[in-house]
Amino acid sequence: MIKAKRNLSNSIIYIFLAIFFVISFFPVFFTFMSSFKSNMEVLTTGNTLFPKHFVFENYKKAWELADFSTYTKNSVFLSFFCVIGSILSSTICGYAFSRGKFKGKELIFYFMISSMFVSLGTLTLYPLLMIMKFVNLNKSLWGVIIIRVFGMNVTNLFIARGFVTSIPTEIDEAAKIDGCSFFGIYRRIIFPLCKPLVGTVAILSFRSSWNDYMLPMVFTMTDPKRMPLVVGIMHLKSSGSTASAWNLMLAGTAISLIPMIIIYIVFNRLFISGMTAGAVKG
Amino acid sequence: MSKQNETGGKVRVKRISKDNMQAFLMILPFLIGFIIFSYVPIVYILRYAFTNYTGFGDAKFTGLANFVRIFQREPDFWMSLVNTVVLSLGKLAVEIPLALLLAVFLNKKLKGVSFFRVTLFMPAIISAAIIGLIFSLLFASYNGMINSMLQNLGIITKPINWFNTKSKAMLILGIASVWQNYGINMIFFLMALQSIPKELYECAAIDGATGPKCFFKITLPMIAPIFQSILLMAIVGSLKVCDLVISCTNGQPGGTTEVVMTYIYKSFFGKSGRNIEIGYASAMALITAIFLGIVTIIYLKATKKLKELEG
Repeated sequence: MIKAKRNLSNSIIYIFLAIFFVISFFPVFFTFMSSFKSNMEVLTTGNTLFPKHFVFENYKKAWELADFSTYTKNSVFLSFFCVIGSILSSTICGYAFSRGKFKGKELIFYFMISSMFVSLGTLTLYPLLMIMKFVNLNKSLWGVIIIRVFGMNVTNLFIARGFVTSIPTEIDEAAKIDGCSFFGIYRRIIFPLCKPLVGTVAILSFRSSWNDYMLPMVFTMTDPKRMPLVVGIMHLKSSGSTASAWNLMLAGTAISLIPMIIIYIVFNRLFISGMTAGAVKG
Repeated sequence: MSKQNETGGKVRVKRISKDNMQAFLMILPFLIGFIIFSYVPIVYILRYAFTNYTGFGDAKFTGLANFVRIFQREPDFWMSLVNTVVLSLGKLAVEIPLALLLAVFLNKKLKGVSFFRVTLFMPAIISAAIIGLIFSLLFASYNGMINSMLQNLGIITKPINWFNTKSKAMLILGIASVWQNYGINMIFFLMALQSIPKELYECAAIDGATGPKCFFKITLPMIAPIFQSILLMAIVGSLKVCDLVISCTNGQPGGTTEVVMTYIYKSFFGKSGRNIEIGYASAMALITAIFLGIVTIIYLKATKKLKELEG
C-alpha cells in the first residue's frame, strides 16, 4: 500500500520534471529547427516544428552574405581576451588578497566587494563609454575587454580568494625560504596549483562575454564590422531587412548558441558550481 | 614568527615589507580599474544630473530643473518604473515557488535527477538578448509556433497578436524572464536544501510528521537565511532587466512595455526618437539608483527575521 503510494507520487514528480525538461528545451530546439527552414517557410507556415526540407543554405548565406563570419570572429576575439584577462585578474587578486599582508588589505577587499551593491547595470553605460573616449577606445572591443577585466567581477574575486586560501601555506613558506619573491611564488607555485579555479573562472567569463549585449553594442554602435554575434543578430533584427532575412537571423542565432551549448554539455559541472559559488558566499 | 625574526634579523623584516609592496602593486591596477569603472560613472551621473548637458558644448548648471521636469512632465518615465516593478513582482511570484518546487523534487533521491538538474539549468547559459529574440519569434502573431500550437489544440480559432496590447506583451516578457531564471534559482534552492542535515527529517518522521508538514516546519525555516539572499538577488536582477526587453518587445506597443533601464538607456543614446539629453538622463538614472537602493534597504530590513532564523 505504502509502496504503491510512493510509486504514484514518484511518477507525478517525474511527469512534472519531464514537462519542465520539454519547456527548457523547446525554445532552443525550435530555434535550431527553424534555422533550417527556407525564408518562405519561416514567414508563411510557422505551424510546423520540423522544416519541410532541411535548408543548409541558410548557414552558408548567413556566414558569407550577412557578415556572420565577422561577427563570430569578433565574438571569439572578445571572449578570448576577456577569459585570459579574467583568469589573470582573479588569480592575481585572489592570491594577493589571500596571502598579502599589506596595510588596509581588508578595507580594499570590502571596498571592491561593495561594487556588488553599487553596480547600476545599464545606467552607467554612457559614462563608461565617455571614460573610454578619453583613451580613444570608445569604438573598439578593447574598451569592452578593459572594462570587463579591470572592472573586477565580484564573484570571481570571491571564488579566487577562497581557493587560494585553501592552498596550504607550507608550500609557499618553503619557496620563500628558497628566496622566491612574492610575485615569484604566484608565478611559479600558486598559479600552477590554481587549475580548478582557472577552469571555473574561464567558464564564467566565457559565458558572460559571449552573451554580453548592451556593453559591446554601445561600443560598436556605429561600426557593424566590429560587432560580436549577439549584437550582430540584434542589428540584423532591427535593420529594416528583417522580413527578407528572417532565416539568416535564425541561422545566426543558432551559430551563437552552438559553442555555448557544446561547452555546457562538456563542462556542466563547472558551470553549475561556478555560477552558484558567488551566491552562497555573498 | 618571533623566532624567525630573532634569527633572520633585519633581512627578513626587509623581505616582508618588500613582499607587502609587491602584493599591493599586484592589486593596484585592478583597484584603479575598479574605481574608474565602478565609481567614476556614478560621479559622472551625479555631476551631470544637475545640468542641461546634451553631449555637445558646455554643460550649464540648472539646479533641480531636471528633477522638476521628471516629476511634473515625464509620465513615461514613471510608467517605465511601474512596469519594472509590476513585471518583477509578477514573474517572481511564479519563478520563486516554481524554482523551489523543482528543487524539492530534485532533492529526492530518485533515478535520473542529475539529468534533470543539468537540463533544467540550461536556459541560464543563454544570452538574455537571444532569449528575448527567441520568445518574440515563438509568440509571433502569424507564423509563431505558440499560436499554431494553440490552434492545433483547438484552444483558439484565430491567431492571437501577442504584442499589440500592453498586458499581453508584458505577459510574454514575464514568461521569457521566468524561463531564463527558474533554472538557476532552482540550483540555488537545491544547494540550500542539500545543506539541511538528514537527521532532522528522521526525527520528524519518528514524531509522525509527513510531507507538507515537514516542508513548512523544517525545510522552509532551515533554508530561510539562504532564501533571503536568493530572493534579494532575484529582485535586484529583475529590477535591472534590460537586454531581454530590448530584444523581445523593445517597448512596443507604443512604448508601453518600456522598463526603467531601457527607458534611461534610450534617453542617454537618443534611441526611439528621443533627443540626446545627457543631463536629463543622468537625473533619471540618479532617481532610479536611489530607488534601487531604497528597495534593497527596505527588503533587508523587512527580511531581517529570516536571517536570524539560522542556528
